[in-house]
Amino acid sequence: MSADPSHAAPAGRLALLIDLERCIGCKSCEVACKQEHGLGPGEYRNRVVWLADPERPGLDFLPVACQHCARPACLRACPVNPKAITKDAETGVVRVDEDRCTGCGECVVACPYGAMGYDSRDHHAVKCDLCAERRAAGRDTACASVCPGHAIQLGRRDELLTTALAQGREVRDHDAFLLGPATLYLDRVHRPERRSWPLDRGTAPVLVDDPSRRGALGESPTAYPYRAPRAAREAERVEPGGCNICFNCCSTQFHFHGDRLVRITGNPDDPVLKGKVCPKSQLTVQLYASEHRLTRPLMRIGPRGEGRFEPVSWETALDAIAERLRAVRERHGPETLGIFSGTRTGLLTNRGYIRLFSQLWGTPNVQSTEPFCSSGKNLAYTLTQGTSVSGNSYTESDIGSAALYVYVGDNQAETRPVYFGMVNDWRIRNGARMVVVDPRHTVTASKADRWLPIRTGTDLALALAMIHHILTRGLEDRAFCARWVLGWEDWRDFVAARGYTPDWAAPITGLAAADIRWLAEQIATADGCVIFGSRGLNQHTNSLQTNRAFMFLAAITGNWGRPGGAYFNMSASVPIGADAPAERRVKPTRPMVRQSPTGWLRAMIDGRPYPMKALIACNNPLAQWPDQDAAREALSALDLLVHIDLFPNETSAYADFVLPAATGIEKGEIGRANDDRRIVWIDRMVEPPGEARPDGWIWIELGKRLGFDDVLEERFKDSALFWDERLIGDPQVRGITQRRLHSVPYRWVRFPVESEDAPERDTLYLEGTTAIGQPEGKRFPTASGKLEFFTEALEARFAKLGLSALPEFYGEREHLVDLPWLELLDADDTPGVPSPFYAGVASSRGRIVQPREEAPGARLRAQGYDTELVTGRAPAPQFHGWTHYAWQAQEMWPDLFVQIHPEKAAALGIEDGERVRIETAHGAIEARAWIYAGIRPTAVFVPIGWGERQPFHPWRSVNFLTDASQRDPTADQTNLKSLLCRVVRLER
Amino acid sequence: MPLPASTTGATGTVHRRDLGNRALGVMVGVAAAVLAAWALALPALPSPLREPGAPLLQSMAIAGSLLLLVSVAFVAVKRTGRGGSPVTWFAAHVTCATLGTVLVVIHASGRLGRPPALLLVGLLALVVLGVWARLRLPARIASTFGTKRRAFAPGSAVVRARLAAVLAEKQALLAELDPDASEATFSVTPRHWLRRPRLARAYARLAATEARLMGQRASVGPAQAWWRALHIGVAALVVLGLLVHVATVTFFAGWVADGRAIHWWHLTAW
Repeated sequence: MSADPSHAAPAGRLALLIDLERCIGCKSCEVACKQEHGLGPGEYRNRVVWLADPERPGLDFLPVACQHCARPACLRACPVNPKAITKDAETGVVRVDEDRCTGCGECVVACPYGAMGYDSRDHHAVKCDLCAERRAAGRDTACASVCPGHAIQLGRRDELLTTALAQGREVRDHDAFLLGPATLYLDRVHRPERRSWPLDRGTAPVLVDDPSRRGALGESPTAYPYRAPRAAREAERVEPGGCNICFNCCSTQFHFHGDRLVRITGNPDDPVLKGKVCPKSQLTVQLYASEHRLTRPLMRIGPRGEGRFEPVSWETALDAIAERLRAVRERHGPETLGIFSGTRTGLLTNRGYIRLFSQLWGTPNVQSTEPFCSSGKNLAYTLTQGTSVSGNSYTESDIGSAALYVYVGDNQAETRPVYFGMVNDWRIRNGARMVVVDPRHTVTASKADRWLPIRTGTDLALALAMIHHILTRGLEDRAFCARWVLGWEDWRDFVAARGYTPDWAAPITGLAAADIRWLAEQIATADGCVIFGSRGLNQHTNSLQTNRAFMFLAAITGNWGRPGGAYFNMSASVPIGADAPAERRVKPTRPMVRQSPTGWLRAMIDGRPYPMKALIACNNPLAQWPDQDAAREALSALDLLVHIDLFPNETSAYADFVLPAATGIEKGEIGRANDDRRIVWIDRMVEPPGEARPDGWIWIELGKRLGFDDVLEERFKDSALFWDERLIGDPQVRGITQRRLHSVPYRWVRFPVESEDAPERDTLYLEGTTAIGQPEGKRFPTASGKLEFFTEALEARFAKLGLSALPEFYGEREHLVDLPWLELLDADDTPGVPSPFYAGVASSRGRIVQPREEAPGARLRAQGYDTELVTGRAPAPQFHGWTHYAWQAQEMWPDLFVQIHPEKAAALGIEDGERVRIETAHGAIEARAWIYAGIRPTAVFVPIGWGERQPFHPWRSVNFLTDASQRDPTADQTNLKSLLCRVVRLER
Repeated sequence: MPLPASTTGATGTVHRRDLGNRALGVMVGVAAAVLAAWALALPALPSPLREPGAPLLQSMAIAGSLLLLVSVAFVAVKRTGRGGSPVTWFAAHVTCATLGTVLVVIHASGRLGRPPALLLVGLLALVVLGVWARLRLPARIASTFGTKRRAFAPGSAVVRARLAAVLAEKQALLAELDPDASEATFSVTPRHWLRRPRLARAYARLAATEARLMGQRASVGPAQAWWRALHIGVAALVVLGLLVHVATVTFFAGWVADGRAIHWWHLTAW
């Protein structure tokens, strides 16, 4: 036998090729595998292991599955004769015969790759067989079919090897024990800047896939289709649709056995996403089947917050709600009803049913989660470009053609894994470069050429300094500026006059001035640079100006209205909306209290500037709203709280009525707003559980009791009909009819399309084109047809709030260095002034306070708040509260965590996985420590999404730490990402 | 070109009849309850039910021992491929061991001060270890997945050289031990032990050396690594002890009785 046993392998040997440069650790492959093979908690055929360098910033991901060794140690260790493990002579595939396995576990001990799984309930080994049944049907493995990173391929080993070597990739030597593993691992691509090698010396954080936390998953989550026999899970029909959870808006396929949903996969017919899909989309199968779903209307019978209810009929609930709403209206006026919707509710409901209801009712106090997530960037886009629609798309010829990708405050690899997988694939194939600016070494950063660990909340300083450097060096695209950028000279002169140089920005941002110059030059000289921004820029009080500054940076470097060049802040607003006839609308006599629901708290508690007495919450404000203590006080003070949701949660506990809602394929809707301008239609395919009803049904039935049924018509309970007849009036979406959506097997259309037969466009605002709905020659849909950064009219609007359209730098109130910050001059219990940016909305005026005048951060630091708190999204399988009801997401990421730098952890005596307390001036929570060198030593990170009434691993929401008063008067965006905190080790 | 499907191995349709945790729990619980009830009632039982050698209790001992032998037979069935499904035999192994232990313990009549009581200790240890291995250990076994990383690195050149030498020795030995076999998938079976015991032993030692060089047992916790060896070792001692006990009471009844009356069936009273 050869020293390399693999040389003796058959020519038809199959293998997986796993590209470590492409794997983003999202664990979509794990979810696909469990779906395909019906595996329950703790059962694995594959797993992605996270590895972090204990001393230096670095993160790698190691997908582990059977290596199908030429000399399988597992097989030889099996004591059963004939063996319960076999090796196929032709393909080399090693399989377990579960009928013969007695479950002794010797193979698990023997496999040095830790790639033997075990079914602890039925006592037998389980392992990857490269999806034998799928291969028999001529299909790819489940893991490869979904992988968002394009990191997994199945093929003949020799062919895969030849291709990889031809591409100049290094195949990792992982045959330490001469077993001849078939699996090929393409090693990370060498980069001069890379100094950390977690693959070789990294450790896995104890809180990822923590087996000690699996007990909470119990037996029930393994309900059908998991652990059911294959025959009972076999799909008999497949329907195309989409995922309604996140901004990636993946097209999906829903697989049914009879009438039961058995699997959700990507849609291979999709020409853009090509069947790739993230874990969340697949995990929704566990939400549809969840035993935790609300299935009957409930009426409160105990004190608020206690969570005691009795089931009532829909008639009883809706009649009582309508009666109490009428009473509120008669005593206090229609404006005293607030409606809060958002992620879970869906765009069609928000812009359709709720919009009509609120117009007929007459309240301006209707809001989604936008002021927490994106109102600053939406306003920035609208002011600058005329619409909040980003003009580029995820196609090879557009974003795929960029030479440089810069991510600023955008962890796309975890928030939109499929899009990032595409970008990362283009980066590798085209030799493009990638830079990540973020306080954390995120998954996105793990693929980048450089990570610049900026101080949270100071991105505006970075943008201004880069602008200064580019303009000083004459690196701007002068022709583009002159022709298409209105007010660029005003900005140039202002930035120069203020001295916003890289040297000025260095101590503010914590970045070296040389690095700031380097990045500016990279952006200015790249032949196509896409600057991605996201919540890291948006969730600050300087959100609007930061977004405008990065837009300016993109504009002056010519990266606007061209393929491969953009400022790309995620999720383009979808221009849909239903309007009631003018004569049926009740015009509010009072303005919206504030643009942000956070600004409603005083109206609920104190009744000022006017009382808010009732709230219909279609989401979970008691986890999402900043300053949770105040939010609880506010909701307790209401006369009526109605909660419409899928699962009982914190808000339900305070509600007078809890109404069970339907979701996704239970109701018929579109996916979320997303970067790519794709509108994904999801047909209604199944009945909701129990008595749960679609949101549209609920609003129509409630409207019926209030006399709105001439507008909120009964027939609009059919959401597809409602879509065609009421929602697509805007020229940008007029062509996106049900017929067009159903004419393609992937159920999406990219807007704008003015008519059913109008072609889709990859890149908008190209030179020589006219924006949709604009007079000929108007390239951008602004008044001037140009990008607008400074005009007298714009300055006048800002001036109404005491501010300027010119980008004066300010940070946040709570920093470790004293920076200018923004003070609200009108408290929420005052009427404020009419917003110059939103019609019918009251706003506060603002003032930029210099630290020499007042330094609240210094005061907090003196009280021991010595650490920067950054909040943000949890890893890819989690999304807000939704996925916390999916058992597999909880298996992967069970606990709320706080990422702490090793130096800080050592100073505090904190060990990895230990429970700690995080305190701000606004509240406190507990979480488990994740000691991670990939974060600024002065900062900690706590993710959103956990709640104290979730079924598996309840933790208090991070919003107990945030502050309702730190908001931007322009867009009313709340600062959620820059607060001072202290971390306290709990007594062991 | 379509990729080939595997031609061997499981079909994806599983027919195994596993002894579930609930069934095992009920069985062991009932056994414990029976023994507890018997222990409580023991002082009040008539003399023939308190003497291990009394015909009824001796009959129970014989029945219990036979059941234990069924349990032992699983070891042979599993390794020879003769006798049917190993999974079904495993269920028989557990059931017969539990029932046999109950009968043997009752047979002992609480006489714990004599050497045969060591057999009871051994039997109870086997039951406890077996139940733990079935109810508690599986979660630990399952959580082993993805926890080993040593093999994903190139590894030590020294270890690789030693492994290469072991491999070469194994291949040379296998050419004599079983010329038709492939080292890649071979392990020693009872057939080899019976036909070529010296070679089988040598091969098994090489396999053990290879496993040690790979750090197989060191790659998991000691309980997971060694529970089965401990179970087999204790079982071997119990079987040996049982044989000794049967031989002494059957052929050396006089020595066992030590001057007292011999109540039990025996062949000689040496």
